[in-house]
Formats: sequence, C-alpha cells, structure tokens
Amino acid sequence: MNGKSGESLSTVEVEGIYFDGRSSRDRAARLTVQGDQVTVQTSADGVSGGTEARWPLARVSIDPPLPGVRRVLKFPDRTRFETEDDAAIRAIERRARRTRPLSDRMLGGVRQLEGSWGLTFAALGLMGAFVWGFIAFGLPAIARGAAAATPSRVLTTFDRETVDLLDKPPYLGPSKLSAARQAELQRGFRQVVGWAGGAYSYRLLLRDGEPEDDGNGSFGGFSLGANAFALPGGTVVMTDQLVALARSDRELLGVLAHESGHVTHRHGLAGVYQALGLTLLTTVVTGDLVSAGTFAAAAPAALLQRGYSRAAETQADEVAGAFMLEKYRTTRPLRDILARLENKDAKADESSVQSGNRIEDLLQSHPGTANRIEHLRALEQAAK
Amino acid sequence: MPDPSFSSMPPERQADALPLTLTKSGPDSQLPALQATPTISAYPMRFTGTAGEFFRLWIVNTALSIVTLGLYLPWARVRTRQYFYGHTWVDGQNFEYTANPVALLRGYLIVAAFFGVYTLATNIQFQGWEWVAGIIAVSFVALYPWLVMKSLRFLAASTTHRGLNFRFHGQAGGAYVAYGVANVAAVISSSLALPWAWFMQRRYQVENAAYGRARATFRGDIGNFYIIGLTALGMVIGAGIVLAVPVITGFALLTSDDPFSGSRDAGFLGAMAGIAVLYLAFLAAYSLAWQYIRGATLKLVLNSTELGGVVRTRATFSPWMLAWIGLSNAAVQVITLGLATPWAAVRRTRYIMEGIQVLAIASLDDFAADVTLNENALGEAATELLDIQLGF
Repeated sequence: MNGKSGESLSTVEVEGIYFDGRSSRDRAARLTVQGDQVTVQTSADGVSGGTEARWPLARVSIDPPLPGVRRVLKFPDRTRFETEDDAAIRAIERRARRTRPLSDRMLGGVRQLEGSWGLTFAALGLMGAFVWGFIAFGLPAIARGAAAATPSRVLTTFDRETVDLLDKPPYLGPSKLSAARQAELQRGFRQVVGWAGGAYSYRLLLRDGEPEDDGNGSFGGFSLGANAFALPGGTVVMTDQLVALARSDRELLGVLAHESGHVTHRHGLAGVYQALGLTLLTTVVTGDLVSAGTFAAAAPAALLQRGYSRAAETQADEVAGAFMLEKYRTTRPLRDILARLENKDAKADESSVQSGNRIEDLLQSHPGTANRIEHLRALEQAAK
Repeated sequence: MPDPSFSSMPPERQADALPLTLTKSGPDSQLPALQATPTISAYPMRFTGTAGEFFRLWIVNTALSIVTLGLYLPWARVRTRQYFYGHTWVDGQNFEYTANPVALLRGYLIVAAFFGVYTLATNIQFQGWEWVAGIIAVSFVALYPWLVMKSLRFLAASTTHRGLNFRFHGQAGGAYVAYGVANVAAVISSSLALPWAWFMQRRYQVENAAYGRARATFRGDIGNFYIIGLTALGMVIGAGIVLAVPVITGFALLTSDDPFSGSRDAGFLGAMAGIAVLYLAFLAAYSLAWQYIRGATLKLVLNSTELGGVVRTRATFSPWMLAWIGLSNAAVQVITLGLATPWAAVRRTRYIMEGIQVLAIASLDDFAADVTLNENALGEAATELLDIQLGF
C-alpha cells in the first residue's frame, strides 16, 4: 500500500444495508474501500453475530445508477450491499474505472443525460432530427438500394400475381377498343419503352376500367375509371376511359412515359421497402411490434407513405417531361390530360371511397394535380 | 406494525385466514408453532417513482433506441423495468430487475428476424412465400405456450427482493394446458370458457411462482372469474343499449321528412357526426370493459395469493378506478402525441401499488434462498416484442 497517487491512499466509508443472499434478512452494514480492497462489516444484532468479508475491488460489481433508487454493490458470493449514499459510490466507481465493464460505464453516462432537463430536451431534439433525417433521406436511399438489388424475377412474379388479382370486375374488364386502335397504342408504347430502356419485361395492357358488374353485388365497388398505372416488373395498365379522355395520342404517350418512369426508378418496390422501414421505425419508437401504440402510429405512417408516393410522382413526371420535350419540345399534352383527369376526379371523388386495401392504395397515383401541371410547365420553360 | 383492520377484507377471505397459522414451517421460524392468534403485520406497498424523473429516463431511452436503430431497445426495456421495480417498496426494501440486456438483445434479434421474414414474405410474395409465412405462423402458434412459460421463468429469475430471487417452477405441460387447451376451448365455446381460461392461466402463474424457497399458492375460485366476465359483458350490453337509443331516434327523425329541418344535407351530416361520436363512445365502453377485466382479475389474483403459508397479498384498489385510469391515460396519450406516456405509466403503477398490502404472520426476514438458474431470454423477447399479455 505505498501508492503515490493519493486517490488510492484515501479511504471511502459508506453506511448501508447488507443481504447475505441466503435469507431475506437485511442487516445494517458498513462498506470500506481502501486501496484495491473492499471490506463489508456487519455488527451483531441479536439474531446472529457480526460478519466481515473482504474482496478485491475488481471483483465487486457496481450496478449502474437509476434515478431515485439505492445504489447496489454485488459480490461474487451473491451477497449484496445497498446504500443511499450515491456520492460515495461514485467515488468508488471512479477508482474502479479501469476494471469496470464498458456497458456499465456507458450507463453511467446515460444517467448524466437523465439527470438534467436541458440534456433531456437536447436528446428529444436529437431524436426529432434523427427521425426526420431518417425519413427524409435515409429510408428512401435504403429503399432505392434494396429495390435496385431485387432480382427482376421477383418483379415479374409480383406483376403476374397483381394482374391476376385485378383482371376481373369490379376492377378491370377486357378492352372495348377496336383491334386497330389497340395496335396503334401498342406501337406508341414500344416507342416510349424503347426510349426509357432498362431490362424490364415491358407490356401494355389495355383494359376496361368500368366493367359491367357481373351481378355479385359488389356494394361500394371500386372501379378504376380513367386511369393508368405501372407495376414494378414493367407491366403498364391503361383503361379505355383514359384513352377516351385523350384528345391526341401525344397525351397518352406522355402518360405512358410517366408510367415508364415509375418502372425504371422502381418506385413500386421501393414503396414496399419504405413501408417495411417505417414499420421498423414505429417499432423502435413504440417499443414493440404489435401493440396499441403501433396501431396508433399507423396513421402517421400512412401519411408518410403518401409523401413518398408524391415524391415518386414528381420523379416520374420529370421522366415524362424529358420524353415529351425530346419528342415534341413541349409538355403541353401531358398537362392537358392531367387537367382533364382532375376535372373528372372532382366528380369521382365522392363515390370512390378510399379504403386501406393494399391494391387500391397502389392505384392512388395522381395527387396534387395543380402542382404537377406547374412543375411540367417549369420543366418546359427550363428547356427553352 | 400490527393491523387490527383485518376485518375489512371480504368475508370469504376471512375463512381461510386460519390455515395460515398452521402451515408455517422452516427451521428459522421465530414464532411458536401453534400460536392461537398470530400477530398479523400489514406492510403497505409503496411506489416512489415520479413522472418527471421517469419522463427523462424514457426520453433518453427512446432517443438512444432510435439513434442506435433499435439496438438499445433491450437496455431501454431493462432500465424502464429497473426504474419501476426499484421504486416499489415493501417494508423498507425495494425490488430489483436483474435481466441481462445482452441476453435480451439476442432474443430480440431472433424474434425480429422471424417477424421480418414473415412480413417480407406476405408483402413481396416471392416464390414459395406461402410456405415461409405458413411455417412461421404455425410454429408461432405451436410454440406460444412454451414461449409464455419461458417468459415467466425469465421474469421470475430476473426479479430480486431482499437479496433473494423469485423463481418460476412451471413446466411446459402445464403451459400447454393453461395457454393452449384453455385458449382453444375459449375460442371454440365462443368465449363461454374464457373465464375458465383466465382462471387456468392465473393459477398456472401463481401456483408455480416462488420467492426463494417459499412456494406461492392460489386460492382463487373459478366462479369469481365468471362474475368478472359477466360484469364486463353486462356493461358492454348496457352501453350498447344506451347508445342505440339516440341512433334509432336519429334515423327516425332523418327518414320522416321533417318540415322544420331546414336542409336535408345538414341533417345528414349531423347524423353522420352523431354516429361517429356514438361509435367512439361505444369503443370507449368496450375498452373500459377490458380494462375492468384486467384490473378486477389482478385484484382477484392478489387477494387469492399466499406465499409460503406466512405471507398473503391484499388488494384494495378499485378495478373501476383502474379502468378509468386506463381509459383517461389513453386519451391523454393520444392528445399529447405519446409524450404523456411516462406520466400515464407512473400514474397507473402508483394507484395499483398504493392499493396493495402485504400481510404477514412472520417476519419478512425469514425467507430462505433457493438455487438460482440462468433462464433463456427468448420467451421474454417474444412476449415483449409481440405484446403477448401475461396479465400483470
């Protein structure tokens, strides 16, 4: 005991209680730390005589502190010493710094955070910033990466399954367009996908978006009406109603170019991954996978999902804009048909009730028309 | 602390107060073996946690969990439990939760991996996804009772009081009866057997619990569980009837072309708003009924539990008050976007703890330790992450 540091020479004495680990009886005790030696002494109390035990400091485990709770020291023989004297235990902790496990030392830091309101609110701010960053940048980037890495075989299967599901009333029926008109549109589609490129099995499905009800009484049936949408593998569906709405084929090619943008940027699949990522985030915030809290968080998650979908729309519009500027030097036809779709939407809104159905959500692909038209106009202006 | 107010207990409880004196055993007994009137000491439980303190702990936990992408979750869970255990006192001594977060993390990762694969399979529907999702779902259902048993074992082994560990002696067989057979019977009988299932599950939990070497016994009667179930059912039916009256009246007013209702559209909108309010009111009544069941069962179990023949718990809190606390907590949590969660947890725990007394005819010093086993954390991880209600 001839250490020169001073700290190791000083003696720490703490009063507390002692449990021998064999019975539930608490006994008043005194803990002394001198150098690397810990001594626990209890005095005789009428039931049993006094005891004394010595341990090297390195073998004593000091439980991480909790606000308002007694500090606990545990010894290898399952005995324990408890005390309210936090300052003394902290002095012992400082002395044992080198031999304590890293996690215990870090939990000491956590206690510092918890101890002050200022730091707590800083943690709250940090948390908010992190969540925002994760939602705005991290998750979309991860989802894009994961979508790009997904083999195209998976995409083709997804397309087939979805088309099987949709290709019947009340969703879709066979197209009523003439064979010649269909061939004309297919030629236009070849032109678009030839321009868009990418190793996708592109195909255009022309379908009736308001098929006759087959009489199975689909109350509140969901019909697509004038619509076009793309599936991840390259399948694009366009309804007769949309074709009828168009005044020229340029408008329709603009729509098809927009859908090809969804395919080449893998928006459909990225959406699935983003939904999974939001589930993970919800789990972390609420602390479990399937509690009431998780369900309460479903609404904000759905809103965020819509946000991602709008970002995808903007990107697809940019693809369509590039196509139209290259072919026709204007985005006017796409803007026209968007406006007409919007007018039709105004009437259709009341009847088509939005439900949480996955497929129906997938089809909600035309939000914020005024902004989209504005954006397309700006694209044209920038190209001049 | 002698307690003369023993007579305030329900009468049926007084009847079995006597056997307490006879079953006292153990070499270190301080009492003469067959004393006619043992001194009964009542130790009220105390909860000293505060909302402000726990709020800070909770915020820091949440922030660290998010920043570490969930890896801190086990530490957060352990710390939260430690806070609540550490602030729960009986006779001047508190409880301690001693689970190892690293063991929990391992369990969390396994459960999360299976859940992730299942979610991926049902969302992306890759080749053969039906098999993957099906196998995971079936094995979860098949393993459910076993997971509950593992979870109870882990929970007991991780709880310390006065330097002694709790222990859970339940075996898989009992778990498959209480959580497998009983739950299936409850479903098949369209909930007629549900109170029986509650009874079986509580009995399994209590009868297999031990503090040190002292085993717990369950004196609950199955009839009381049916009374709880019927009370809740009656409440839901009553709420349904009360709430149905304005709905029917509203429809009657709406369909009869009233000359003084200015516009039909306004009337329709008003009716829709009314229906939404009534729907919410019914949901509240329904959730109140479940909260009541939870609270009343907890009270019943606490009033039917003995430990080692020398200690008994007594609950004096009101299940209706507890149900109200649960409902109002939920409302406040929604309004504050979850920020009131710590306050709500402290409020509920305080109300429960301050309504529990520990009655002892021997000193609480005289319990002896049992061997301590290392329990696997997988079951605990599953019940925590998948929110399986163990009924505490």
